[in-house]
Amino acid sequence: MNDLLIPVLLILLAPLIGGLVYGFERIIKARMQRRIGPPLLQPFYDFLKLADKRKMIVHSAHAFLGIMHFVSLWFALAVLLLGGDLILVIFLHLLSTSLIILAGYSTRSIFSHLGANRTAISILAYEPVLIIIAVSIFMLTGSFDASAAFNWDQPLLYKMPLAFIALLLVLPIKLKKSPFDVAEAHQEVTGGVEIEFSGIFFEAVYTAKWLDYVFCYTLVFLFAGNNILLGIGLMVFTFFYLNALDNSSARVNYKQMLRFSLTVSFSLAFINLLINIFT
Amino acid sequence: MNLASYRKKSPWILHYNAGGCNGCDIEILACLGPKYDIERFGMINTGNPKQSDILLVTGPVTKRSRERLVEIYAQMPEPKVVVSCGACACTGGVFRGMYNCEGGVDQYIPVDVYVCGCGTRPEQIIDGVVQALGILEQKTKAMEVSVRLQKEPLKEEGQINRRNIADQIKPALS
Ligand code: SF4
Repeated sequence: MNDLLIPVLLILLAPLIGGLVYGFERIIKARMQRRIGPPLLQPFYDFLKLADKRKMIVHSAHAFLGIMHFVSLWFALAVLLLGGDLILVIFLHLLSTSLIILAGYSTRSIFSHLGANRTAISILAYEPVLIIIAVSIFMLTGSFDASAAFNWDQPLLYKMPLAFIALLLVLPIKLKKSPFDVAEAHQEVTGGVEIEFSGIFFEAVYTAKWLDYVFCYTLVFLFAGNNILLGIGLMVFTFFYLNALDNSSARVNYKQMLRFSLTVSFSLAFINLLINIFT
Repeated sequence: MNLASYRKKSPWILHYNAGGCNGCDIEILACLGPKYDIERFGMINTGNPKQSDILLVTGPVTKRSRERLVEIYAQMPEPKVVVSCGACACTGGVFRGMYNCEGGVDQYIPVDVYVCGCGTRPEQIIDGVVQALGILEQKTKAMEVSVRLQKEPLKEEGQINRRNIADQIKPALS
């Protein structure tokens, strides 16, 4: 009963937690740039304000795909937190990303198309690495289930440090952080796929971003096995690493991103897999 | 729960240069920097009309930019406010009376707050935006339209013709 309670609570509160993480991140980012930064609850103020705007949609399918993106992402997160199959989790996440890509293509805005193209390319960059990591976890624990990793008696980090480094290298792509934020690229394509969403429908896409934080930090937590203290340490480390990286690097173009991810990150994860198989 | 009170806390800004000299734009960008840091009020420079609440316009409206200005204004969902930054945007400034511009944003779209100065100071811009927030809180979600579109858009051969947009907005004005 008790081991079901925490995941269910986490799943229900996931948007809240993600929003807090996002608010905290904005403060930390501002402090790194010697600014004061917005209040901690800023994402929620944004949320409430967006609910009060006049409703405008491009067409109904576009708005629907945006909402389904949020719902399927939440579902993927639920499966992950309940200890479901990692491959299933990765593909559910892929499904939610493809829904937002479809939404991007369904409008006639050029920026939206560009953003959809770039999101599709970033999937190409991070998806193989994640799958290799999942296979490595399978080789180690003998099961694809996330619960097997959560209950593993020693941290996976010690057995697969290279995979953790590979995960750290692909997380900026997933969370759309510099230097790999070509998909969002606010100064170039003003948000990419989310550009045509407005008001209450933008909220779905905006909140999905918060869920993505919870999703990614849970993936990081996976590497700590049943050592909760180490898991929290890893999450805090990843948080500061991501923000420092975001603040200190400039955007690369999509070709460089793809090349880097498929050579460096992918090889790291693959070498790790080979080590796990042969030792 | 009164949602209108949250408008004040997260105003998202859209910034459009309707043909100015870029002086005011740099001052607006200075507001985002460490010294003035308007993000502490929750403001973000979105660059996307569909998600923003405050339109900051600089520059006199040139004949090339007026259609874009009206189009951007029409794309912003209500409630929205317009702040015209700089002498150009308020009256035409140093460009007033020139053949290529109209002088003053308020000939096209309703302006809520005028911020003066040729090269307005960041403090003035922040003050203007804070005044605009007070107005934003009072606004309703009713449709707002641009004020003047009598002038025919360019419709020569090979030019982009945006007359249809103008035609749609015109009946609402009369
Ligand atoms: S008001 Fe002065 S500084 Fe500002 S855009 Fe016009 S000419 Fe430039």
